[in-house]
Amino acid sequence: MLEPLDRTASRALPWGIVPARATSLARELPIVLGGIGLFYSLLAFARYWSGPVGAEAAISLRATALPKYALFSVLRIAIAYVFSFLFTLVYGYAAASSPKAEQLMIPLLDTLQSIPVLSFLPGVMISMVALFPSRQLGVELGSILLIFTGQVWNMAFSFYASLKSIPVEMREAAQAYRLNWWQRFWKLELPWSAIGLIWNSMMSVAGGWFFLMACEMFVLGNRDFRLPGLGSYLQTAANAGDTRAIVLGLITMIGVIVVIDQVVWRPVIAWAEKFKFEQVGSATLPSSPVLTFLRSSKLVPLVMQSLLFPLRERLNLHFARERETSSAHVSKRTRVWVLRLAAVVVLGGIAYAMVKMFAILAAVSSGELQHIVWGAGATFVRVQAVLFLAALWAVPVGVLVGLRPRLSAVAQPIAQIAASVPATALFPIILLGLVRAGGGLGIGSILLLLLGTQWYVLFNVIAGATAIPADLKEVCTVYQLSSAERWRRLFLPAIFPYLITGLVTASGGAWNASIVAEYVRFRGQTISTTGLGAIISQATDAGNFRLLLTATVVMVVTVVIMNRLVWRRLYALATTKFRLEC
Amino acid sequence: MSTVITPILRNALSQAHWDEAAELLRSSDGIAAAAALDELPFEQQQLLFRHLPLDLAALMLPHFPYYDQYVLLHSRSKEEMRAIVDLMSPDARLHFLDELPEEAWQRLMDELSGAEPAQVSEPPGALPKVERPAEPQPEKAREPIIEARQVEKSYAQPDGNQIQIIAPLDLTVDSETICALLGPSGSGKSTLLRILSGLIPPSQGTLLWHGQPLDHTGANVGIVFQSFALFPWLTVLENVEVPLAARGLEHAVRHREALDALAVVGLKGFENAYPKELSGGMKQRVGFARALAVKPEVLFMDEPFSALDVLTAENLRGELMGLWTKNQIPTKSIFLVTHNIEEAVLLADRIVVLGAHPATIRADFYISLPQPRDRKSAEFLVYVDYIYKVMTQPEQKLGPFTKLPSLRKPSFQILPHATAGGMAGLLEFLDDRGGKEDLYHLADELLMEVDDLFPIVDAAVLLGFADSAQGDVRITVSGKQFATADIVARKKLFRKAVLSSVTLIQQIRNALERKSDRAVPLEFFRDILDEHLPEEEAQRQIETVLNWGRYAEIFTYDSASDRLLLDEPSGNASSPERIPLH
Repeated sequence: MLEPLDRTASRALPWGIVPARATSLARELPIVLGGIGLFYSLLAFARYWSGPVGAEAAISLRATALPKYALFSVLRIAIAYVFSFLFTLVYGYAAASSPKAEQLMIPLLDTLQSIPVLSFLPGVMISMVALFPSRQLGVELGSILLIFTGQVWNMAFSFYASLKSIPVEMREAAQAYRLNWWQRFWKLELPWSAIGLIWNSMMSVAGGWFFLMACEMFVLGNRDFRLPGLGSYLQTAANAGDTRAIVLGLITMIGVIVVIDQVVWRPVIAWAEKFKFEQVGSATLPSSPVLTFLRSSKLVPLVMQSLLFPLRERLNLHFARERETSSAHVSKRTRVWVLRLAAVVVLGGIAYAMVKMFAILAAVSSGELQHIVWGAGATFVRVQAVLFLAALWAVPVGVLVGLRPRLSAVAQPIAQIAASVPATALFPIILLGLVRAGGGLGIGSILLLLLGTQWYVLFNVIAGATAIPADLKEVCTVYQLSSAERWRRLFLPAIFPYLITGLVTASGGAWNASIVAEYVRFRGQTISTTGLGAIISQATDAGNFRLLLTATVVMVVTVVIMNRLVWRRLYALATTKFRLEC
Repeated sequence: MSTVITPILRNALSQAHWDEAAELLRSSDGIAAAAALDELPFEQQQLLFRHLPLDLAALMLPHFPYYDQYVLLHSRSKEEMRAIVDLMSPDARLHFLDELPEEAWQRLMDELSGAEPAQVSEPPGALPKVERPAEPQPEKAREPIIEARQVEKSYAQPDGNQIQIIAPLDLTVDSETICALLGPSGSGKSTLLRILSGLIPPSQGTLLWHGQPLDHTGANVGIVFQSFALFPWLTVLENVEVPLAARGLEHAVRHREALDALAVVGLKGFENAYPKELSGGMKQRVGFARALAVKPEVLFMDEPFSALDVLTAENLRGELMGLWTKNQIPTKSIFLVTHNIEEAVLLADRIVVLGAHPATIRADFYISLPQPRDRKSAEFLVYVDYIYKVMTQPEQKLGPFTKLPSLRKPSFQILPHATAGGMAGLLEFLDDRGGKEDLYHLADELLMEVDDLFPIVDAAVLLGFADSAQGDVRITVSGKQFATADIVARKKLFRKAVLSSVTLIQQIRNALERKSDRAVPLEFFRDILDEHLPEEEAQRQIETVLNWGRYAEIFTYDSASDRLLLDEPSGNASSPERIPLH
């Protein structure tokens, strides 16, 4: 935590703690420069945004353009993330606080989560471009919203689940001590959800990188959208078959991801350690040099001291007094009515959309339908093959690594870096190899999907193997179980819950990733294979709204049915029979 | 008639005209005098008794409950005690002595015969017993703070069934009183605490604070929770400041008051520690400081010492009582929920005992021992013994002053949650002890909490292995057989007992025998239970039934198919102990 200085003295003389010696000023320099850099990039982005459409449609493949493109991509993901975060807070809060809304909102979230990013594209783009027809802003917002649709759902779900799991006595303490909603949110609900939110944020941002190429450069009917960014750079390089540019772009992307990991996520994780809900402190704590640096800095406490704390104090007093004096009955009644009105509007809108959707679906020809069903079958088989292959190598490797703490200390960071590289960025290179080897995308797409989703399985299996109690391993030794018996009696059952968790995540991810794996533009031509993802991508490119909608509905229905019938049952089995407790 | 003399009596007492009061009582007949005495506040009854002439004291004494008689007797000198007991009518004397637990009786006999009381129970070197001061502590004016009128609580089951947790009851929380709420687990103690503190509304009935319904800001209460319910991400100081900030206090004020509260509970120097760095006892001190910081009118405590080890709990209790008796804490009243009988007698001025399914008030009485109390004293044991009697024998008429509400017989047989192994252990222990033991002795020697012991005793009584009367448990003939038998014979005895007295197991066995495949889904019986009981209780019933049925080899349970299967004991398929069912 950033230790506040003596707060009572602060208001009188904040400048008293300004560093006097030059050495400490030098230490503060990175923070100051970082702030200025952020300010400039926002300015540049804003200027570009307000520019007319199409001014920078051509993507330059020169290496000197890369820093600017990287910056634009990072900003896009960051803005999308801010939107996602705000949406998460509102949606999760609403779902967790109203049992009626919950019944509607949680299945809805489940459904939205299984809609692939590209299916949102026409709707998002058309509305955004219509909103700002003459400015780049419209297209930009569209791209940002696309990234948003790729990262928001799991965050919202995590926040909702955290809110629901707050212990009753903690809630009662908040109620008995009359915390107002503002205070309850900052002192209880947000800290309680912090760890889950952070891990899901990391996953979401990784998802943003994964779909960046699809979100920055796409064709919609007769319009060709290209936004300056790393994703479009890589896409353009692949189209042109420029290996040097592909490699350069890839290196830049990995560099950016590693830097963000070090500068943002590691410090945040180390800082969030205090939000762990545990009764006793743990022995090893995550640490981050950046956080240590920030903590030892004098500039950060100064800013906190002179800006944030007084602001926080004022807000707190405002809300506390409001609660103590306001007549809650009136505001509650109006609030109920506002909520009812909103619910009617939303439900009405959904009903209208449903009617329209069925009208469109009814017009689908039997030929198209056959095409879609065939494609769904192909993608289904492909996804299952990917899961099988992922489990096939990740289970033995994961268990071996997890059982050996020293090996895992070495292997974990390497695997993490490997996993952080978005598989989509590697596609062009893999395709080069595939094309040279003469293989088609039918097999190639399995490889591409595997690249994107195997890590979920691996990391979960490692976690499971690490959690196997030592006494159970000793039992195996004492009774001289053979290696095969050990796997059958101990390792496999013990990692089962973790394996299922990994496979559920991988399955969802694979369905979603099929849109980029089954349909690839490369060296000026389009390579595709039979599959639902290919149909969706193709329909987007061609502007065939009816086909896009139908294919999306089929995909959502398939994923939801799979979740209900298979994964949820396996999950229930994992949490009852295979839970490690006595 | 009592209405005539009560005001005069009160008047005489307020001016300390003891002779006048005595004359008044002497001149009216016994029943009227008793009624008049009954209308006085508890302290005044005691005060008056201590000033009555010996013959009148002997006359009035039997109107008090036996535990008060014992304490009141001891408030007089030894000679006076002897005289009063001599002057009592033989019937009243016999009745009184009969109720006393063994130690207390022995002690009284020694005192009456002039012999020095045996010192076995006192540790060597203990301070000689100080003569109790003739005047009790200055009388505190008790006024109701909270009044609950006919409050009840019921929950709706998913199928729309209403399950009553608390039957309509009246209860007041008075100023200057520590009130302890006792009851078996699952009796709705905690729910009642939450209703009184305004955390949850009652389903029916009214809750008044100083004669007014609560407004939207809620009552000014502090609550100490069993699980501490501290915010782990806030320091000790910040935790205590949270409720103060919710009241809109300025930073400086908040800081000062929080530090004051921490100083009271002895946590000065720990302000900047996080809860996870503290031991359980220290954490609960933070809980106390947080509760005291808001200067609550009533301090609610929900099993505050249950999560602590024995020594820490004892220490904390002592400190709390020290603060309370010296008026160092800003609270007018303490309301304590506990399942620990000794804790209640140690701390409380008044004890309310709840019965379960649904909660009703079984007993409500005052403890007339001065603080600090000695756990080993005979007076203390008289109260403990009395509470055991109340809790084990709900139907018993308990002294002339205790009003017992008519108990509603539960329409459904609720099994005590005990295992066959637990019962076997208890019966063996009883058998070793000559077949009979006081319940509080049992709890003491087995180091068991009442919550754990009572279900085992109840189960043994239900199955006819033991009798329980007057706070004693006695082994029966079949219990003795069971205790001395080997494992096979034990199972046979258990089977016989279970089949003759447990309705649900009879039903299960009947159903199993009627089915051709000898299998019934457990779901069927779960549904029956769910109709009558809250979800957790139904679950516990299922667990108990499974445990007993499996031990008795009546049926087995297959968790994979969730079915009960008839367990055919090898050899004697038509078992001789088959019971005709009605």
